[in-house]
Amino acid sequence: MEFVVEEGKLVHEECSTLILPALSIGNVGQLAVDLLVSSTAAERVGYVDDLNLLPCVGNDAYGPLPCGDIALPLEVYESSSTAITLAQQRSPVAKGMMIKFAENIAEFAASSGKKDVIVLSSLDFQRLHNLDLSRGPQVYYLSNAESDGRDDHCERLGFGRLGEYDPEGRCWKYLSSVFDKNNKEELSFPSEDELEDIDYYPSLPFAALFSAFKARGLKVTCLLCYCSEGDNIPDAFLLAEAASKLTGLTPDKFHGEEGGKWRIPYSWKSMYGAPPDMSMF
Amino acid sequence: MEDVLTENPPPSRFFQEDLNNFTPSPEPPLPSPFIVFSNPKPELPLKPSLLIIALSSPSLHIFHSCLPSKTLIGTLIIPELPFSGNTVEPSLQDKSCNVYSLSDNNENENSVLLVSVQLPVSPERSNLVSRLLIGQDIVPERVIILDSIQSRNFRGRLSPDEALAAKLETSSEKKAAATSRLNLDYFPSGSVIDGLSASLLSRCQLKNIRGTLVVSWPEFDPSVVRFVGGLLKSIVPGLDNKSVGKDLEMYSSRSGLKKDAWLDSDLYT
Repeated sequence: MEFVVEEGKLVHEECSTLILPALSIGNVGQLAVDLLVSSTAAERVGYVDDLNLLPCVGNDAYGPLPCGDIALPLEVYESSSTAITLAQQRSPVAKGMMIKFAENIAEFAASSGKKDVIVLSSLDFQRLHNLDLSRGPQVYYLSNAESDGRDDHCERLGFGRLGEYDPEGRCWKYLSSVFDKNNKEELSFPSEDELEDIDYYPSLPFAALFSAFKARGLKVTCLLCYCSEGDNIPDAFLLAEAASKLTGLTPDKFHGEEGGKWRIPYSWKSMYGAPPDMSMF
Repeated sequence: MEDVLTENPPPSRFFQEDLNNFTPSPEPPLPSPFIVFSNPKPELPLKPSLLIIALSSPSLHIFHSCLPSKTLIGTLIIPELPFSGNTVEPSLQDKSCNVYSLSDNNENENSVLLVSVQLPVSPERSNLVSRLLIGQDIVPERVIILDSIQSRNFRGRLSPDEALAAKLETSSEKKAAATSRLNLDYFPSGSVIDGLSASLLSRCQLKNIRGTLVVSWPEFDPSVVRFVGGLLKSIVPGLDNKSVGKDLEMYSSRSGLKKDAWLDSDLYT
């Protein structure tokens, strides 16, 4: 893996917080990062080149008009006014390489001088056991501030701790052991046939990233929301809003439309394909 | 009609194994692709002023029918793909990835290289292949990649009887003189290109090389063949455009091109 600084750009040393998506149902983490990049007018400063990422290219995703600036699979954006680095991942990881990819990203974060990492991810709504409609859409979190995943700051913000996190669980222990270079305990790779319902959470990409960042001594917080496949734009807003609260971003840091907070990325205009052919009417 | 319950999800959606940390990696690991150069082996890395890579059917047709003066100088080998069925002399029907040299008027050897990608390179192997072609054995000054628009990744409307073409460029290419760049609309934002052509263009961007990816639609259409021929004529002086019209009836319909598709199988080698 290599971080390539874009020609003519500089990396801001003061950007000590990294926000990045984990691949997840509905692409919610990626949509949330799209919103944050677009709305904070963050500027692309470089690319992460990793063999484990499947290739893709496209036109500029943010606009206001696509100007032909090429978009690559994993790009790094920064805004000196927010002191935040945003990494956007546009393509999947090669089959079976998620753990290696997480290790590489953690290496990038640590060597870049990041102190805090926020991972944005969604969870399958079918896995939610205790639905409380009275509280409205709920953001959950998982932090390495305390051993049980709890974090006072997240609690004060009203996020719900991910109760299913069990650091002594077989799969969570395996992930910890894989990324911890000092770990002497040999744990076996869980086979797909052996996985049970409780193994759903540690099997997800956010869990690999969480464990990898934790092993590198970085403070990591995962922000999570339950959703189903479909129109996941509202879920993206929910996570982006939660990330902005967690990082303490004030409204003046945003360059939304018509004086508001959020700016819809230009690429979202065609998210659901072309409009219907009106000539048939 | 496809079953909506079991058909492949659109590419923005994931399969279960895509989101599973415990999906095993392929075993055993595949050997890396490599390029075998002809004898005498040229001095590596090759440094052409222009590298043209053809992936689309129209561009492959143009390469084989309109550039008789090209010289085969190498072949890219992907170990897991068999050679069975390939002919001794390079042929459009081969499953191969050949590297050709096109001498310029000053007889400057290897100043223009052509790569004819006639085999399926999986997304997982694309990054390794693109590293060989750009930045490792070959270090070009400028790259042009010719591929087809993939309808599954295109968010706009694609009509089977309406040809279109678009481009994506690297930052270096955008900064170059306008007269030297290809005059095409940009690929629309919101749609993506994946696979080997994406990996090749990404490689150019990362290495700060002038690179252009031209994608066209539909994949099998005489007008697209003529368009690609005209495009290449503007950048490859030796291109014999008169030959572009030959055998175009095979591009008049998808079924026309695929009339011998049942022979195009490893079972019948």
